[in-house]
Amino acid sequence: MSLRNDTKPWLSGGFGLVILASIPAVLFVGALIFFTVWVVTFSFTDLSLVGAKSVNWSWIGFDNYERLFTRRGFMESLWVTVSFTFFSAIVGQSLLGFLLASVMRALRGPLRGFIEVAIMLGWLLPDIVAAFLWSATTAENGLINSVVLGPLGFDSVNFLNEFAFPVVVVANVWKGTAWSYLLFSAALDSVPRDVIEAAQVDGATWWQRTRRVTLPMIKSHIGTNTLFITIWTFTYFPLVYAMTGGGPGRQTKVLSIFMYEQSFKIGKLGYGSAISVAMLLVVGLLAVFYVRLLKEPE
Amino acid sequence: MDERPSRSLALALCFVAVIWVSPFAWLLSNAFDTSAVGILRLPQDPGVGNFGRALSGSSGLQMWNSLVIAFGTATLTVAVAAGAAYPLSRIRIPGRDAMLWGLVLLRMMPSTGLMIPIFFSAQKTGLLNHLGVILALSILNLPFALLLLKNFFDTVPIELEEAAHVEGASLFQIVGRIVLPLSRPGLAVVWFFTFTTAWNEFLLPLLFSRAESGFPMSVGLYAAFGQQGAIDYGFLAAYSILYAAPAIAVYFLLRRNMNTGFAGVGVKG
Repeated sequence: MSLRNDTKPWLSGGFGLVILASIPAVLFVGALIFFTVWVVTFSFTDLSLVGAKSVNWSWIGFDNYERLFTRRGFMESLWVTVSFTFFSAIVGQSLLGFLLASVMRALRGPLRGFIEVAIMLGWLLPDIVAAFLWSATTAENGLINSVVLGPLGFDSVNFLNEFAFPVVVVANVWKGTAWSYLLFSAALDSVPRDVIEAAQVDGATWWQRTRRVTLPMIKSHIGTNTLFITIWTFTYFPLVYAMTGGGPGRQTKVLSIFMYEQSFKIGKLGYGSAISVAMLLVVGLLAVFYVRLLKEPE
Repeated sequence: MDERPSRSLALALCFVAVIWVSPFAWLLSNAFDTSAVGILRLPQDPGVGNFGRALSGSSGLQMWNSLVIAFGTATLTVAVAAGAAYPLSRIRIPGRDAMLWGLVLLRMMPSTGLMIPIFFSAQKTGLLNHLGVILALSILNLPFALLLLKNFFDTVPIELEEAAHVEGASLFQIVGRIVLPLSRPGLAVVWFFTFTTAWNEFLLPLLFSRAESGFPMSVGLYAAFGQQGAIDYGFLAAYSILYAAPAIAVYFLLRRNMNTGFAGVGVKG
């Protein structure tokens, strides 16, 4: 190898030490790659968590993948996940994050600090605390019933039973908007002020300025943001699982919960692996799609 | 340029803020009420008794479990990442950029999809315990830590190392006396960030811990409020605050350094 030519002399002197220090990291990355290969490989088997098939598993070809489409469960969960991602991340977090970022730019003083800290706190909370808060808030004797519905004379509603999907969407918007807000705040700071002012002088309204000037200039930030929150939300497990466990029925059974149940409650590790692979494939396709979208010329 | 918000806009913002904050108000009012019943009201019996209960017995043990897992994961991740990040930053290995992009891809990969092989491997090697959780979380966090630290090492001026080398310092001395002290802020960011990630983690310990005494706080809190019957709101609220405090404290501690690695995928060629 021609490594040593342009290598710093103190590094080539202690090459043994360099190799030694890198070994653990190589092993860790190797383990990650091993896990990925493993999950793909065993998605073609009937491996089980317990019983005879946990040792004597056999190859079953594409049976698990066929089951994804023929058995009840996967397609429903895929649909729930897509709606959950669309409403809570792409619409909720992105849009609200952008609106807040663009409105709060004009704001100074304590109100801005107060709102920022409030948004940040939701983001910083551990998932399970957020789940507990929203379960308690929407419970039959919870905050919404006792503060809003009760005084207005309505009967109390158990929101998690009757409106499970909207409640987990709201909870995830509440939890995750901070990331989009921070990213769009930084993005809007990068838009030169004189460009906006010029548009203002020309008589452009706020909407026109946003659509024609700001949005095109922060296009790459929008892409980055959408890419990240889509990936996170698509495979998000703790919040929804702790709030509803996937129920009632299948209403909030996102793919990660479906995968968890099939693998660790029912014990079909092979089938669970196929679900995992399908999730990774969807995420990968979405990533490619967004990157393509970003690179496309005007 | 006058861009003061209109009155209606300010009102709308206040409304958003109230919605955002009200769960926290509920949490505080219940945590400091020793006879809390889960509704929003001023504490009837104000006191810190709930916190005392949350810190003792099995819930106190769960806090200790969380600390062990988070501390172990953060320390192991930083140590392993630093060892490889420094050479990665200083040596022009052929295909280095491809390697870095490979790391970015690995970092973006959702860990939920890898839970089955991780669980299966841990089961086969007898690692369904805290050590297994620490190892698994470190492996999952490594690509991110490696990328961040590599970027931090890139900002450490190489001239100092050259000067030390001319003076006759060994690699060990250069790294120990110059590089590591200079990148202390970077190491701290990665350490605290990994600590928070491990502290918040739910799915892995849910799979790995079988007994209540081995639960970290995430699983403990879930098990407590998932129970049927009378929910002890005061206790759960206090427990939640204790559980959330470190993650929030870490953020405000690192606020200034945070934007350095904000998106965490900055690859400089």
